[in-house]
Amino acid sequence: MSSPHAAPRPGALSARRLLSPGLLFALPFLVLLAVFMLWPLGQGLWMSLTDTSLSAHAPSFIGLDNFTEALGDAEMWRALGHTVWFTALSTVPLVAVALGMALLVHTGLPGQWVWRLAFFAPYLLPVGVVSLLWIWLYQPDLGLYNNLLDAVGLGQVAWLSDESVAMSAIALTTLWWTVGFNFLLYLAALQSIPDHLYEAAAIDGAGAWRRLWSITLPQLSRITVVITVLQILASLKVFDQVYLITKGGPNNSTRPVVEYVYDVGFTGYRLGYASAISYIFFALVILASAAQYAALRRREK
Amino acid sequence: MTSTDLPVRSAPSPAPHVPGSVRALADRRRAPRPRAHLTLGDGRTARVLALAALAVMALVWLLPMAWALLTAFKSEQDASDPVHWFLPSHGFTLRGFSSVWERGDLPLWMLNSFLISAAVTVITVLVSAMAGYAFSRTLFAGRRWLFALTVAAVLVPPQILIVPWFQQMLSLGLLDTYAAVILPQTVAPVMVFILKKHFDSLPHELEEAARIDGAGHWRIFWSVLLPLSRPMLAAVSIFVFIGAWNNFLWPFISTSDPALMTLPVGITSVKDAYGIQYAQSMASAVLAALPLVVVFMFFQRHIVKSVSTTGLGGQ
Amino acid sequence: MTGMPVPVGRPGLTRRRALTAALASGAAVLGGGALSGCGSAVAAGEPAVRLWDLFSGADGGLLNDMVHAARPDMRGTRIERTVLEWGTPYYTKLAMASAGGRGPDMAVAHMSRLAGYAPTGLLDPWDLDVLAEYGVTRDDFADAVWSRTQSEGRTYAIPLDTHPFIVFFHPEPAADAGLLAKDGTLDAEAFSSPDRFLAAGRELAKASGKQGIAFGYVTDTAQGWRLFYGLYRQTGGAFRLPAGGPAEVDEDRMAEVIAFMARLVDGRVNPKRLDYAAAIAAFANRQTAMILSGEWELGTFRAADKNVQAAPFPTVFGTPAVYADAHSFVLPHRPDPDRAQRRRTHQAAAALLKAGQIWATAGHIPAYRPVTRTKAYERLRPQAHYVQAQSHVVLDPAVWFAGAGSDFQNAMSQVLQQALLDGLAPDRAARAMVRRLNTFLSKPSPA
Repeated sequence: MSSPHAAPRPGALSARRLLSPGLLFALPFLVLLAVFMLWPLGQGLWMSLTDTSLSAHAPSFIGLDNFTEALGDAEMWRALGHTVWFTALSTVPLVAVALGMALLVHTGLPGQWVWRLAFFAPYLLPVGVVSLLWIWLYQPDLGLYNNLLDAVGLGQVAWLSDESVAMSAIALTTLWWTVGFNFLLYLAALQSIPDHLYEAAAIDGAGAWRRLWSITLPQLSRITVVITVLQILASLKVFDQVYLITKGGPNNSTRPVVEYVYDVGFTGYRLGYASAISYIFFALVILASAAQYAALRRREK
Repeated sequence: MTSTDLPVRSAPSPAPHVPGSVRALADRRRAPRPRAHLTLGDGRTARVLALAALAVMALVWLLPMAWALLTAFKSEQDASDPVHWFLPSHGFTLRGFSSVWERGDLPLWMLNSFLISAAVTVITVLVSAMAGYAFSRTLFAGRRWLFALTVAAVLVPPQILIVPWFQQMLSLGLLDTYAAVILPQTVAPVMVFILKKHFDSLPHELEEAARIDGAGHWRIFWSVLLPLSRPMLAAVSIFVFIGAWNNFLWPFISTSDPALMTLPVGITSVKDAYGIQYAQSMASAVLAALPLVVVFMFFQRHIVKSVSTTGLGGQ
Repeated sequence: MTGMPVPVGRPGLTRRRALTAALASGAAVLGGGALSGCGSAVAAGEPAVRLWDLFSGADGGLLNDMVHAARPDMRGTRIERTVLEWGTPYYTKLAMASAGGRGPDMAVAHMSRLAGYAPTGLLDPWDLDVLAEYGVTRDDFADAVWSRTQSEGRTYAIPLDTHPFIVFFHPEPAADAGLLAKDGTLDAEAFSSPDRFLAAGRELAKASGKQGIAFGYVTDTAQGWRLFYGLYRQTGGAFRLPAGGPAEVDEDRMAEVIAFMARLVDGRVNPKRLDYAAAIAAFANRQTAMILSGEWELGTFRAADKNVQAAPFPTVFGTPAVYADAHSFVLPHRPDPDRAQRRRTHQAAAALLKAGQIWATAGHIPAYRPVTRTKAYERLRPQAHYVQAQSHVVLDPAVWFAGAGSDFQNAMSQVLQQALLDGLAPDRAARAMVRRLNTFLSKPSPA
């Protein structure tokens, strides 16, 4: 796979080899990686062992105190719970609705351009726009949805101020905003299903439903797993839309763990404690990744 | 890291450890063909039903944007009229747009967003392509180890780095500068991974020929491999650009000077001295949404391809 | 003044110039603070003092008027406003900007937040000598207000106003209920104990034909605490918060106050489940004859009833005390401040204080007393009726975690809401509040 030209001379660990062209090519990336990822990772770990503050005082080493405090911090657990809850609440519709959209569009019905625009365009909106728009849509009295509910005789919903509804409202906004991404992934997968499978089914006299269940869906099972995995990892990192739409409220009932890091670190000045929580969150992400990796591996076999 | 890793928004981000070969499939993607007879059969009812379902869904999805447009063209008075909530009783007006534009900050934020996203894209794609080339085509001490490190780095969510990044920029005295916003976004291990895979898939014959002509690594990279990779580079660039354009968390943390803010940060942080003005709010949302949506209308195929190629993180 | 989401942006005045400059230097993308220094670098002609504030709506418009009115007092300098979202986000951004050393020249901050700012090195002290040159001295402010501007012997805030929590009422039903003194002011005697207060509410309900007293607190992040803390301080109960804890408070008195608040929002004489906006609407639409509210809603109420009246919050529990907060000007920290720019900033603060008469029209009590001593101010109704609230103001406890838009106020308000809305017993609510207080106290101070 490498060109013979660059083959190393056995055993020769010369300066020339250390500064080989390959390393020079990789160097800019490696420097960025070291300065803006590895170093901050180390610094974050160090900060989590100190009481570093946004204010001017000098930090001092406090061992694992931040971690002990975090494990007993009910608000942190609550925020972690919200993150997991949001992930559960958003992943299923984000995969299912995307699949539904892709199946319908893939039928080749007229208006392809319009369908793709309708479903994917929201994804291109900056989150600032999405949040302004949905705050307006969810307004009591003036907002579109409450007016529509009124018009069909259902009562208004306190979308963003009722603790039992707010998280669902956020999930709904997220569905509208990002489903187009999964939709495109599904569409690409659908277009790669070979025609001859369908043609064979048609010869066998299979109806539309049969073709869906026995050809299309089985062919999509693999991409479905991949999309679900990516979606779970993405949903776990939620912050933007929650922060911009509800600020984590009402009564912190939608605050995800990333916002808790922000609140503790920047609003509460406790950068050290925020770093510790960041690492606990990191552990959760790694755990989720590992679990999914294991699941995928088992599937592959 | 990050620009590419759109995770701040909850959409899937690329991850290389996921098996599958959709990228290859996507490359084979042809222009959409009418496949109705294949999936739906020839029944008329099925077609009509499917079309109706599609139309309803598209309507539901377009409704919020239509509502924003409608509000943006109302007067403030009509926008906050709970009785005539749908159509304005005093007709449509452009005043919302003109007052937003006259304030002058929206164009500034657009410019900031554009400069920052462009810089992130150029740096990320160039640096990642070079690293991808190094990992794919050369041998050097520690190559395997460094590549493994790169793959592992994909797992690090940028969200956990905001605190140390902030501290880092603080000690470098770079907070509230373009450099602080741009640099951390340029570390994109996923892109290195994707481009390495891509270079692996290119045939060696052409560079062999170039090498015989005495070309060095740089010339092979620049004049042979990159031109061969144009579609891939375009896909990756579009993906990185969209990610940077829409990135919120880090620009939000690293800037507090309104003159430096990007679009998503500016329109949500800086307020109007005259209070809630829904028509103006929607007018600024519409203006802020416009650039990418218009670009999408013109380059739909490229963007769709970019997402399906890059979105799975090179499988 | 409430933490309502307010979309849309408004920047300072040099944005277009900055845009031009940015286009010109578009290539220098990585050029560090190419634009960041635009406040001083770009505005070549007239130097600008960059001011951050959190005033939107009516207050925002008035501050624009003040900036305009202050111009003759500060020739050669402009004030460039940036309005940021009220509440926690504002204070977070201010702290981050100050830490970065590239913050605005001057910012508006609540004095109740000072304890979390001044000792942390995020603010720089004001130079009283320079201020005196521009005609502002310590004697121009009430003692109760001035004392809160100090930290470690230095002055970190210049008060702009006091904004107390007061009562508004429609004069007709109040007169019919026999609650007005001869001169048309509220008869404070009729509200001087919990029972009398509730009886007055019944009279008001009778006279209005609807309900008596509105108080909006449901899901609000501060209202419950504002009412509670003012009343609690009237009981004379201790409220000492030593660093590390535990809090030294009088739980019985707290329970007494909570019980009174719960009886007040009984759902019959007075509405029970109002949120902030609903309470404003209820009073403005004359569904109630009185409302317990911040004076900053004066403009809203006057639009609905041009004769609307107001009074300092009555002394219900014996000791006069009125819950309030104060807006003030602060100097975000700069590692090496430019002397001339600092001087201009002092000049701008002084000029804005002197334009305080405009600020008073919103209902705020200007902190700069030369303004409230004028004839023009005495003629302001109902402002002049509650100006004496200033002498008994009680701000949030001076601890780093308290103050406007703080998590602390929110936490206290949540417990109070449970007592008022969901029937949590007053003594248990008081204990719950103390528990949460102790949690806050156990956290290390950033100072």
